Amino acid sequence: MKSFRARGRGLLTARVEPVEAALLSQLATNVADLLAGNDSAEDSQEGYPVGDGDGAPSGRDPALVRLFPEAYPGDAEASSEFRRFTLDGLTDRKLRNARTVIATLEDATSATGTTEIRLDPQAAQAWVRTLTDIRLVLASRLGIDDEESEAPGGEPWVVVGDVYDWLGWVQDSLVSALED
Amino acid sequence: MTRRWSPPAGPPAGFVLRTGVAEPVTRGQTGTDRVVEPESVWMTLVWNDPVNLMTYVSWVFRSYFGFSRAEAERRMLQVHNDGRAVVATGSREEMERHVEAMHDFGLWSTLERVER
Repeated sequence: MKSFRARGRGLLTARVEPVEAALLSQLATNVADLLAGNDSAEDSQEGYPVGDGDGAPSGRDPALVRLFPEAYPGDAEASSEFRRFTLDGLTDRKLRNARTVIATLEDATSATGTTEIRLDPQAAQAWVRTLTDIRLVLASRLGIDDEESEAPGGEPWVVVGDVYDWLGWVQDSLVSALED
Repeated sequence: MTRRWSPPAGPPAGFVLRTGVAEPVTRGQTGTDRVVEPESVWMTLVWNDPVNLMTYVSWVFRSYFGFSRAEAERRMLQVHNDGRAVVATGSREEMERHVEAMHDFGLWSTLERVER
């Protein structure tokens, strides 16, 4: 993959290999699946780390906890109220962003060689957010919870760690192009 | 949560950004049971996390809050070095919208009342 480049009028382009496109698409799909599952889980209000008596932060996937942080730390009721009003919208937007990424990569994934992907301003906004969501989920899986954290050694974690670092590079490249 | 932290004792000095004049909240419009709450000021905080890139956080501050490049950089470094930064103050409703927007961007953001 080559860095994103600003082409004027808010258009950004990058060249991706089929294997990279497939990987990004798969990761975005994983995030979308996680979010889609979260949507239905919300009906039962299970698992969120709200400390309302028996509310031990046990069942909830830590990745989802990070994607939807408590807005009012130390105030379970206000946090729960905030979540009630924002969760559906946040989930829908994150899902839409992930699907935009998947759609952008469709041709590049099935191509036989390097493909140029083109992001209009709206797609770029979806991309930058979804790359963040993917990295947050991977970091949670890798147990990266402070700046000194080291990814676990041994397969397959070394590979996941490499993917995580590569996504950081892609994100950085996209942000640089957006800044242009 | 990706990092443990203690709630700050009070607002850091010197942050008056996006200070909206909070409208008094009225509940119950029937006239007789009209309750006017005293206006209170809230702040939006962004917390350090080990995942988000410094360039990204800076870009979010610039593109969403409209900070200058230098100001966005300063706030980002404050998040990075001090563990958190106040990025806006104003009415509770307005701060909740900011927190939701920060969650859209994947930043770890909370709000709390500014003690006076």
